[in-house]
Amino acid sequence: MIDVSAFHDALGIMFASAGSWGWIVPGLIIGLIFSAIPGISITMAMAIVLPMSLYMDFFPAIVFLTSVYTGAGFGGSVPAILMNIPGTPSSFATTFDGFAMSQKGLHNEALGHALFASTICGIFGYVLLLLLIEPLADIVLRIGPLEMFAVAIWGMLLLGSLGSTYISRGLLAAAFGVLLGTVGMNTAGFTRGTLGIPVLLDGISPIPAMIGLLAAGQLLGLAGRDYIIDADGAREVSIRRILAGCWGTLKYPGVLLRGSIIGVVIGAVPGVGSSIGNLIAYAETKRTAKDSATFGTGNPKGVIAAESAVASGEGGSMATMLALGIPGGGATAILIAAFMMHNIVPGPGLIQSQKPMVYAIILNNMVQATVLLAVGVAFIYVAANVVKVRTRYVLPSVLVVATLGTYAVTGEIAGPITLFIFALLGFALSRYEYPIPAVVVGILLGRMLETEFLRSYQISGGDPLYLFQRPGAVAIVGVMVASLGMTAWSKRKQRRAEAAEEAALLRQLEQDKVPAPPRASAIKG
Amino acid sequence: MRIGRHTYVIEYGHLALITLIAGLVFWYLLDARSVSLSVNNLLLVEPVSLFTLALYAFIVPQCFHRVDEAEAAAIASDQDPLSPTAAPDYSDLIKMGALSVALGLMVFLLETIGFDIAVFLFSAAAMVVCGERRPLRVLVFSLAVTAVAIYGFRAMIPYPMPTTLL
Repeated sequence: MIDVSAFHDALGIMFASAGSWGWIVPGLIIGLIFSAIPGISITMAMAIVLPMSLYMDFFPAIVFLTSVYTGAGFGGSVPAILMNIPGTPSSFATTFDGFAMSQKGLHNEALGHALFASTICGIFGYVLLLLLIEPLADIVLRIGPLEMFAVAIWGMLLLGSLGSTYISRGLLAAAFGVLLGTVGMNTAGFTRGTLGIPVLLDGISPIPAMIGLLAAGQLLGLAGRDYIIDADGAREVSIRRILAGCWGTLKYPGVLLRGSIIGVVIGAVPGVGSSIGNLIAYAETKRTAKDSATFGTGNPKGVIAAESAVASGEGGSMATMLALGIPGGGATAILIAAFMMHNIVPGPGLIQSQKPMVYAIILNNMVQATVLLAVGVAFIYVAANVVKVRTRYVLPSVLVVATLGTYAVTGEIAGPITLFIFALLGFALSRYEYPIPAVVVGILLGRMLETEFLRSYQISGGDPLYLFQRPGAVAIVGVMVASLGMTAWSKRKQRRAEAAEEAALLRQLEQDKVPAPPRASAIKG
Repeated sequence: MRIGRHTYVIEYGHLALITLIAGLVFWYLLDARSVSLSVNNLLLVEPVSLFTLALYAFIVPQCFHRVDEAEAAAIASDQDPLSPTAAPDYSDLIKMGALSVALGLMVFLLETIGFDIAVFLFSAAAMVVCGERRPLRVLVFSLAVTAVAIYGFRAMIPYPMPTTLL
């Protein structure tokens, strides 16, 4: 738990270097803008500003870089809500209900929900980090391939909640996605499905594929419209409604809490990060919601669940980085590089020798999450005006940025070609009611599923009872099974209640029909 | 199509799509098996491929809809123009098709004619497809998109972007 004297010293560091707080706003703005551009990742944004931090002192440099990280965590949700293109893979689940809300003219509220969920859960994630940094690090060290495989399976359970009209088509889309995710060389060194193209050795790049699949369904479909949102009156951009959306987020404390806990835990697992956390948080929220049928059609809980997991996931990945020196993803790897450029090595030694500094970094992240609220409102007010611009200007600009963004991801023409091929595939799939998100989830998790399954198989020697030697994996599987069981039970109860209600209504109607004849006789008479 | 005493409507597009997917999966399975029959290679790929092919067999019948002749005639005579089953708006489909072709041309010509020319031509084409008819606006906006995109991305990404003019 928390070391009070170190915490006191951390407050001292915070206030002694108050000048470094000036880097928060520029860092947030850079993070917001870069991550709102599809294809430009958080890692790329931080890599671009990393050289600038070389000339700063250690604390201001870390404040600046972590501000970029915090801003980028939220920025990806803006294009996800307004145009159905997630700026980063971690904003993918935000598109499910965010874009649907936007199409109903509720883009102000959706952006407000996303921003406030990001802010609150970002702070919550860092509070947990402050309290649990040491035990959390201990848990992370115990995570092996089997636990990772269980987490990936948990991510795949989202498919059950996508609500396709045809279950068989949803399963086909997911299985096809998983297979696409395994193309290339696997961890055992076998190369499959590359057609001799060297670029495919690393597999199909998921970001261009994701942008292509989603862009096809929506962006190309917008060609026939004059504006992104059809209804004339729905294109209003209002600070009042954005703030109302922010305030409305507080109506769902359970969703915020569940999303935050899932985000912190999954975010702490190296190599998994928030790209799965948001999917799991969305799926779990939908599974437990009474109004689960409205998810995907613009339910605010969907936006809040996804964003809360993304924001709190930052705290989780910072825990792994600070306590163990293990980068959870590209962005934390850049942070480690920044630490090392100032001759500080993150890891257990840092926690022991410089605990006040670690606490000061965490506290500053809470300040950043708070400042994000003000900067974020201004940013989304400007960004939301895209709904007022005619598609003849929006479409060429967004498609050009998306295409060049995919080039930025791969550094080769393979990125834009992947985007185009998957755009055509996405168009065909959506035309015949195949859920596009199922393919995207399959592509995102396919490689991880195979890698971790293979490692678990190799370690266990093919013995399924090995599962019982891994209490972490048993716990994850237990939570999954319990969650599924409880959902099935509550759904059964709900169905029975609905059937009883319907029967009662029918009986009532039958009874009402009995006195009806007098009217007929009156006519006859 | 008539089979026995029943008339069927076939969704040819849907059938083609799932057959293409099944064909790709079958080829992928054969390719993986040709590399090695080791469990380390086929642990996930083989079961998921077989599952996908089984799903294909299950979905194929969904492409054939049996229609009662009298019902089909009634549907043909009482077409509700506002119903979701009404004929699609072909002008929108043509616009989407044209935009897709323009996107494809830009993607495949990026390196051949340079990123700047390809982006400019795509922007102009996309604006025209989406309904802009004023040449000055098409020219100025496409130039602006090209300049911002090329200079912006060149400043941000570490890879070279071959251009012709900029």
